[in-house]
Amino acid sequence: MTFEAVIERDVSVAPAELGVRRTRFWTLRRVVTPIVIVVVLLVLYLWIQTLTIDSIMARTLNADYILLRTREHLVLTFVASALVAVLAIPSGIIASRTRSRLLRGTILTIANIGQATPAIGFIILLAIIWQIGFQTALIALVAYSFLPVLRNTMVGLAQIDPNVTESARGMGMTPGQVLMRIELPLAVPVILAGLRTSLVFCVGVATVATFIDAGGLGDMIVNGLKLQRFPVLIAGAVIVSCIALLIDWLASIAEDLLRPKGV
Amino acid sequence: MTGFDFPGLLAFWGKRSDDILTLVGEHLLVVAIALLLATVIGVGVGLLVWNSPVGRSLAVTSAAVILTIPSLALLAAMIPLFGLGWVPTLIGLTLYSLLPIIRNTVVGLREVSPAIMESATGMGLAPGAVLLRIQLPMAWPVIVTGVRVAAQLTIGIAAIGAYVGGPGLGQMIFQGLSSLGSKNALNYALTGTLCVIILALIVDGLFTLITRYTTSKGLRA
Repeated sequence: MTFEAVIERDVSVAPAELGVRRTRFWTLRRVVTPIVIVVVLLVLYLWIQTLTIDSIMARTLNADYILLRTREHLVLTFVASALVAVLAIPSGIIASRTRSRLLRGTILTIANIGQATPAIGFIILLAIIWQIGFQTALIALVAYSFLPVLRNTMVGLAQIDPNVTESARGMGMTPGQVLMRIELPLAVPVILAGLRTSLVFCVGVATVATFIDAGGLGDMIVNGLKLQRFPVLIAGAVIVSCIALLIDWLASIAEDLLRPKGV
Repeated sequence: MTGFDFPGLLAFWGKRSDDILTLVGEHLLVVAIALLLATVIGVGVGLLVWNSPVGRSLAVTSAAVILTIPSLALLAAMIPLFGLGWVPTLIGLTLYSLLPIIRNTVVGLREVSPAIMESATGMGLAPGAVLLRIQLPMAWPVIVTGVRVAAQLTIGIAAIGAYVGGPGLGQMIFQGLSSLGSKNALNYALTGTLCVIILALIVDGLFTLITRYTTSKGLRA
């Protein structure tokens, strides 16, 4: 057993997987997650109802404000993830098509350094160099999740048994057909795992976007802290965590549905 | 828009090298303590649950849920309980490190060939001894890989810890944000970010050595 193999597997496999895949579709975790989220939000709501709300808290702890921030948060997350999917997957395919080892090595190295870059540092640097606001946060999110998805696309395509592609070619498929009908479907699980990680990640980084005035639920956390109103802080933190869990849950379902049947 | 001024950056480094080194040290220290705690807890949990399907999936799932929670939310949510400072950062980083460590411990322990465990039993080792003297050493390289992944993760997250009063290079990054518009804003944020990246890469390299020197002699390639 080589260490490299262990590392590769560890990084490329989605966090939730452990050995057993593809058993039943509605596993315990599948069912429990949304129930837990609903219960947690309900408890939060009831808890806030019992508190005496002063005028400062009332400004943030109302449905309009929370829905507005949630919408900002979701828009940021989904627009960034959609852009990443559209940009990074084709780039990954092109990158894996090149014969040049140098190019591939360079991309993987940059991807590794990108992973070592703290999101908060990157987003703040971008704000200082360029401007604060929503657009900056969006670009930071895209740039930040671009590399993992690109890398997973490359890894997904590279891990395909060469015998399989060779037999496809032997059956008379053109390179394009091999890519579309053999390689991409086989790489789908790894590519989707990358997208799922990047989605969850975007929810987290979108929270930090509050520091550069890009809105989102991070606002509630920061305001709660600044104004010494802990219920506001807790509400923001709990809601954003529930969103992250919900998106991860939806992505795990998408992963199972989109995976090719034979794999 | 701030122009980039390289000599200015060098002068900044020269003037503040003491501060920078202190922050690098703090950053390393908080990550190291968190990793140590997480390794003790994670390997302990892994040893307890590796052989029970329910316990295993419970441990891995709860650790995965923690990792899904945005770091700012988790760190901020601990302020009402623990106040500002090192403690929330330390606890947050420990919690985030648990998933890779528990998962790799379980995977590593399960990967040991049953034939080896059977021969150990045949030689008269009690089940506990098989676990600690045979399985654990054989799983160790995989466990260290988990710690290594956790290290990469926490070095980045620790930067956000500065917002809850935690130690480390995040202070420099936030200093850059709060002096937005001034000449040194870019210098602060750039220095903080670069140091975190370099730290992450160095620590990753160190783990190659740690793996080599903590793996049982007979297993070294």
